[in-house]
Amino acid sequence: MRALEIAATGMMAQQTRVEVIANNISNVGTTGYNLRRAEFADLLYQQAQRAGDVSSDTGTVVPAGIQLGLGTRTAAVSMQVAQGALRQTNGELDLALEGRGWFEVQLPSGDSAYTRDGSFKLSADGLVVTSEGYPLVPQITVPADARGVSINADGQVFASFEGNQAPQELGKISLANFINEKGLEARGSNLFTATAASGDAQIGDAGTDGRGTMRQGYLEQSSVDIVTEITQLIEAQRAYEMNSKVITAADQMLAAANQVR
Amino acid sequence: MDNPIYVTIARQTALQRQMDVVANNIANASTTGFKREGTVFAEVIERLDGASKALSMSSDTATFTDLAPGPVAETGDPLNVAILGDGMLGVEHRDETLYTRDGRFAISPEGELTLLSGGRVLDAGGAPLQIPPDSTRIAIAKDGTVSADGVPLGRLGLYGLDAARLERTGGGLFRAAEQPPAAEQPRFAQGFLEDSNINPVTELVRMIEIQRAYELGQNMLQAEHDRISQVTEIAGRAA
Repeated sequence: MRALEIAATGMMAQQTRVEVIANNISNVGTTGYNLRRAEFADLLYQQAQRAGDVSSDTGTVVPAGIQLGLGTRTAAVSMQVAQGALRQTNGELDLALEGRGWFEVQLPSGDSAYTRDGSFKLSADGLVVTSEGYPLVPQITVPADARGVSINADGQVFASFEGNQAPQELGKISLANFINEKGLEARGSNLFTATAASGDAQIGDAGTDGRGTMRQGYLEQSSVDIVTEITQLIEAQRAYEMNSKVITAADQMLAAANQVR
Repeated sequence: MDNPIYVTIARQTALQRQMDVVANNIANASTTGFKREGTVFAEVIERLDGASKALSMSSDTATFTDLAPGPVAETGDPLNVAILGDGMLGVEHRDETLYTRDGRFAISPEGELTLLSGGRVLDAGGAPLQIPPDSTRIAIAKDGTVSADGVPLGRLGLYGLDAARLERTGGGLFRAAEQPPAAEQPRFAQGFLEDSNINPVTELVRMIEIQRAYELGQNMLQAEHDRISQVTEIAGRAA
């Protein structure tokens, strides 16, 4: 009797779903967080009797056959790339992305990582870095005597100085784009790295080739909608209970079989 | 003499299989595009030697796929598509064409439109759909025309399949016995997905029915066992 194992795959799948929902809910306040969904697919089918088998010597065939499914599996936990709401912070180095695109940052290993979290800070050397201290690529250094920094929608960074000194352009923040953003690998701390599935990063200026634009003084909020998550949670819990009912029923059937002497 | 036992055992085995089918349906309650499976029972008649009466046993001869549409839910993801009405999408999976109702798409590193679970989505002509790498907006029209930034790339192939001639291969994919005809009037909804078409209440009721029928069978076996022991005892006493 496979019903026990089949129901167990169903329970494991719903458990994964609850874990993904829990992660979404706990990241409701995370800047630039993209919501995740557990995606399921059915497992292999055992062909107990194949459709099309010859059932007599006159050549009649079995029209449908017997196919026994073996349960479900988690096919993917996919990221739903969606624009989150923008929240005004007035932070000079807070950047929100409107539209597609990722900031490129350099990991300590020298590799590139990508993020939509635009809450940048200054390092002791005046470098623009993430909250973890990873520098933005291309590197932008703010002079120590700069009075303020302004960043326009295209990513151009200007420093303004005391007196009537003209603003100085410090550099231009470029954005990365991926053909398949769902294929990016999450590395924690709002960072992602490119994989074979995501394709290589296509670096370019903001506002070109479908890349979004930047907005200084704003941060992109998490795209998690609490109401949707809670309804999903209820669904997952009930589906879990349903699978456990199958286990109970299968167990009782086996108990009945055991009672016959 | 053992006929009642054989008849019951045939029934019990079939019930166990039916339980497996129900368990699989319930386990796939959250699987996008999943189609419910059902079992068909048939009577197997065996003529008894020299007797005019025939003995009838039940046998599960087939499972069938219930192609009834599942509820459609909005996801807002441009790479999600629900098929409204009948028909299945053509997918190239390991060099063969399979069919699915699962509309969760992704884009491969080569820029081809694929299913999230792998397998290239085919257009009406049976060729994979190539998405230009710099495209920003992918639109799927009601008739299945896929376009990137307003440039049409091709139309999704939709095929009319006969439920009786489908073989399940897992991962929401079906194998067809023969090349299916193109579906008439394909209709799609972008940003939506078709949920599993199982009805939890019906499945649970079926499960209870199976369980009770199984217990009934076990009682029948027990009664038959007791009857035979009694006969043996009486016969033993008479000897």
